Amino acid sequence: MPNMMKLRVFCALLACRAARLGLRLLGRGGTDFPGRVALKLCPNLLGILAKNVTTVIVTGTNGKTTTSRMIEQALADSGISYFANKSGANLLSGVTAEFAMHSTLFGRCRYDYALIESDEAAFKAISRFVDAKAIVLTNVFRDQLDRYGEVTHTLDNLRIGVENSPNAVLCINADDSLCASLADEVSNEICFYGVNVPVYAARVQEVSDAPYCIRCKHEYTYDYVTYGHLGGYRCPNCGYSRPSPKVAVCEVSRSDAESSQLRFRLPDGKELDALVNLPGGYNIYNACACMAAGQVLGLNPEVTALSLSRFECGFGRMEQFEIAGKKLRMILIKNPAGCNQVLNFLRNTNTNVLFTACLNDRAQDGTDVSWIWDVDFEQLTEMGDRLTAVYVSGVRADDMALRFKYADIPVEKIHVFRDNKSLIDAILAQNEPAYIMPTYTAMLNLRNYLSKTYGFKQFWE
Amino acid sequence: MELRICHLYPDVLNLYGDRGNVMCLQHRLRWRGMEATVTGVSVGQPLKADDFDLFFIGGGQDFEQEVLLEDLAGGKADEIRAAVEDGKTFLAICGGYQMLGSYYKTWDGQQCDFIGALDLYTEGEQERLIGNFMFSCPELNGLNVVGFENHSGRTYLGSGVKPLGTILYGGGNNGRDKTEGARYRNVFATYSHGCLLPKNPELADLILKNALERRYGTVSLESLDDVLERNAHDSMERRLKQA
Repeated sequence: MPNMMKLRVFCALLACRAARLGLRLLGRGGTDFPGRVALKLCPNLLGILAKNVTTVIVTGTNGKTTTSRMIEQALADSGISYFANKSGANLLSGVTAEFAMHSTLFGRCRYDYALIESDEAAFKAISRFVDAKAIVLTNVFRDQLDRYGEVTHTLDNLRIGVENSPNAVLCINADDSLCASLADEVSNEICFYGVNVPVYAARVQEVSDAPYCIRCKHEYTYDYVTYGHLGGYRCPNCGYSRPSPKVAVCEVSRSDAESSQLRFRLPDGKELDALVNLPGGYNIYNACACMAAGQVLGLNPEVTALSLSRFECGFGRMEQFEIAGKKLRMILIKNPAGCNQVLNFLRNTNTNVLFTACLNDRAQDGTDVSWIWDVDFEQLTEMGDRLTAVYVSGVRADDMALRFKYADIPVEKIHVFRDNKSLIDAILAQNEPAYIMPTYTAMLNLRNYLSKTYGFKQFWE
Repeated sequence: MELRICHLYPDVLNLYGDRGNVMCLQHRLRWRGMEATVTGVSVGQPLKADDFDLFFIGGGQDFEQEVLLEDLAGGKADEIRAAVEDGKTFLAICGGYQMLGSYYKTWDGQQCDFIGALDLYTEGEQERLIGNFMFSCPELNGLNVVGFENHSGRTYLGSGVKPLGTILYGGGNNGRDKTEGARYRNVFATYSHGCLLPKNPELADLILKNALERRYGTVSLESLDDVLERNAHDSMERRLKQA
């Protein structure tokens, strides 16, 4: 680097750290602002910092964080020196800040590997600076249409990001007709992964986000559906169909309220059992994505399989809290597909359930709350007396309460809470297992309250 | 009494929670002891307008638009035009609203011909109108309708069509003339997602009354317990007024 550039990088890194330290002293976990400061001083900072780092990028609509935490455990268990953007800072500025914090002030990264969860819209910008070794595409669903637009728009963004990454091996979800269609448009090496069997005994009624063939617009037929538009699709008109996955889940022998037991089939034909220590059919997909990434990175599959049984879930992703002997699970919701999967999960449990939804409509949540009407909350009524109550809170609590009324939940079971304290106190006063489903900013807000009140760790720790 | 509700293209025109409107109409009939059947009619299925009292058309993604236009041209467009003239009740939202008009012209000049049941047309612009919005509605005795708009099309009404309301906050039909939505015979059309009807129960009841009276003559609807509905409506109205 020329000296001027070195000085520029040094100043940017110093400013980034100073901004981050300042925010921490104020007791705030800001990860975006320090990155913006650094980018202002050195727009190409990410490119410089990421240059000699082996980078894995995880992107897509749902499952990014959980898949990243699984891969992270596999990296750690394989003895690889890595860092990851764990705090959820997944835009260009946040990712830049994470690289900055893990580099020396002279711009040399202190780790061999970087594991980066990338927002699906920010991926095309991040990929301009990072020459990824592997890219994991989880899926494409409708999500915050005010921000991301239609699914085809998200798909376009992913394609541009991949085109920026000619050296990356792609791990693509074969069961997602949208993601899998990218394979024909790029020349990267591809490792398809998929689930060969249904993942739920009973499923919610879902609208498909992609009923018509992405190539010829004819309606797909399905051999089986796992959830949403995922499964064994085939277009009877043009012949586009689910590619055969190299890494497959070939059997799900058990899936309950705590975990799933499954069997992988690997590219060499070997089969391997694994326990996934998070419940929910969608986490079987995340586990499969992790196994595919492990294959691409050359990790020992048996080590990866073991990692799936012991990884630490991301904040608010089925995260479990124990307060005064009572267990709460917090499950982030952000779009119909993800929310429906949580309902699928709850429906397949067998205990009583106290259900809480916290709906905010800030920019990170999506300013349009219409999507709650696309979620099959009617499933909750089918749980009958097993559903003891429905609590709602958040900026749009009243919209949420109304949604539950129209889902035929008896209005006497619906309770609105205007602040965290009254909500958490009410939950703790009940004996039932509690599931709290907050949108993104509501999750941060609630987590912050739990951290301060009960001493759980903050999201940036 | 009963209403036969037709949900047009439920698997394609299903963005932004618009199906909640059908749920709302159905529930508000049942809560009053009336019957409500909902039938989805999608691509490739014939539409017999005589079989229904009330039609709902939601908004969709651009991707499936060609599929729809081809299907409409295969007979449904004629049925819909005839049903509108015959005084059948319609609720059309966003993309469905635009589709009832004559055409859509994209910002780069391509024209797409639509059903032509209503004297209105839409022109695309690059900047979208997105956000919570509110309009007054003369048929609702001074009550305001709250919802969420998200559209790049700007709709202009012809002389034969009245607006559904007047914009108080937000863009509405085109961001210029303060109109929102369209009224023609028994057609109600609007850009409002949100979902629209659950938190605007008076509008839901107006549409139901309209459809019931076309079939049964004068009808009076008993009032319902709308506390949760009012809360959702009023919290948004307050927020917009404070903004």
